[in-house]
Amino acid sequence: MNTVWLSSNLSWIAELTFAHLWLTVVPTALGLVLALPLGWWAHQVPRLYGFIVGSSGLFYTVPSLAFFVLLPGIIGTRILDPLNVVIALTVYTIALMVRVVADGLASIPPETVQAAEAMGYRAFQRFVLVQLPVAVPVILGGLRVAVVSNISIVTMAAIIGVQQLGSLFTQGYSLGLMTPIVTGIVLCLAIAVVLDLLILWASRALTPWRPKEVAA
Amino acid sequence: MIVFDHVSKTYPDGTMAVEDLSFTAPNGKITVLVGPSGCGKTTSMRMINRLIDPTSGTITLDGQPTAGIDKVELRRKIGYVIQNAGLFPHRTVVDNVAALPRLLGERKQDARDRARQLLNLVGLDESFARKYPWQLSGGQQQRVGVARALATDPPFLLMDEPFSAVDPIVRAQLQDEFLKLQETIGKTIVMVTHDIDEALILGDQIAVLRQGGRLAQIASPEELLRAPADRFVADFVGTSRGYRSLGFIHADEQLTVRHTPAAPLGSSAAALPPGSDGWLVAVDEQARPLGWIHRERIGEVVTAEAVDHAGSIAAEDAPLRDLLDAALSSPSGDGIVAGADGGYLGTVGTSDIVAAIQRSKRGRARPADEEAGDRA
Repeated sequence: MNTVWLSSNLSWIAELTFAHLWLTVVPTALGLVLALPLGWWAHQVPRLYGFIVGSSGLFYTVPSLAFFVLLPGIIGTRILDPLNVVIALTVYTIALMVRVVADGLASIPPETVQAAEAMGYRAFQRFVLVQLPVAVPVILGGLRVAVVSNISIVTMAAIIGVQQLGSLFTQGYSLGLMTPIVTGIVLCLAIAVVLDLLILWASRALTPWRPKEVAA
Repeated sequence: MIVFDHVSKTYPDGTMAVEDLSFTAPNGKITVLVGPSGCGKTTSMRMINRLIDPTSGTITLDGQPTAGIDKVELRRKIGYVIQNAGLFPHRTVVDNVAALPRLLGERKQDARDRARQLLNLVGLDESFARKYPWQLSGGQQQRVGVARALATDPPFLLMDEPFSAVDPIVRAQLQDEFLKLQETIGKTIVMVTHDIDEALILGDQIAVLRQGGRLAQIASPEELLRAPADRFVADFVGTSRGYRSLGFIHADEQLTVRHTPAAPLGSSAAALPPGSDGWLVAVDEQARPLGWIHRERIGEVVTAEAVDHAGSIAAEDAPLRDLLDAALSSPSGDGIVAGADGGYLGTVGTSDIVAAIQRSKRGRARPADEEAGDRA
């Protein structure tokens, strides 16, 4: 372990960690918000389920590097703009979450939704007050996968020069040092664990109504 | 009052779910739609609150055509009880009941207070209020479902197979309690069931539908059993309809009640009279009948262990069916009758009950005879 490199780069590492954090959290949150109406639509119109879920899922197959490089040409951003990364990761999140949201809505007992309709809940009230809260465990379960996957995809942005923990890998490679690389991996893992636990905690906090799990 | 006026529902693929259905569900009464699966009974009920829109015809609520009322506004005026209750799993019991009042802007505390009263009304005490639906049995969930449907005190109530997902014992209990509840709330109710027994127990009037949503007969339970309109209704009502119809007939004054001697628990065998063929009626300290007891099975004194519980006990004011059942199930051949206070009254013989049944049939046949006479 090269402690000299570590101690002289502490503040830079901290900056990279924060950058990595917001480059992960913002697109994940945005993607979730955008996936909600799309997932609802796919659930609501069974004929379109295959099309909506399939076509949004297709975006996941676009290589992230290609995305980062192509986006400025498509939407007119600068090549170094972190916005490219945010948009690309938002798209990946949508790709993962549309199916999750649709399946989460499908997991609700049909008579619960039917009862809400028959009681006089309007479609939006039904979605916000009944369907969404009941689908929370499934949706946030999917979000845990999306956030961890985003943490790893963000590192690719180092290649186009957007600073975050991935920059430690390119740095380590060019300096021939293992320490930055190991530091980057450890911090990525740490962020993954923290965000994963946060979502897990949020899911439990939002669903006090679920049967208590038998100790795993 | 809910009125169906030549209502039909045809699906785009040409399936006729309901065909030219006309009937009236009177205020304060329970109208049961019953029929085999695919007879359009659920479709018919769901057209009332426009979960399904009719293809033709009109449905009016107290004279107002439902087609002219906003769907959501309409539904908020009509309580809905669904099979399996359909409770909101993420809300506590009290908040399930308070959900609609809250949605309509009522203050949380007021809505919850009223919800607690309603829970009480359906037989759930305070300890259930803070539980979540998964912590309740099926029967308890169904009670919450009924309370939730009453939360805004709607004049109309629709019930879709409300008691069919619970076991028979709980179902009988829920039906019984529901009838008592209806006596106090007096809602205009349309209920769907596939179970003719449930229809006969709960319905003030029963509409029997046949395949394709055509009305086969609409009548009171008694009339349905006595005079089914055709073979289909007769078959649907079932082979034991003769016996069931006795559930709506009461004994007349002429029914002989015999005074079979009683054998109080703890009394000494030597002091007891011979009884009828050795059979006596065992009674407890409050003179309530417990069952039959045979002299030969009594030792020194009359004990609870020696009582034969096979025979059912009919209440004095019970319909003939209960009296007949008491006699048929009895080891002695006679049925035990208890008074209104639960005390032992006497016994009735099978032949006397059958005579009472025949007298009641003659009484019912008379108007028909007169009609025949008029025509002649």
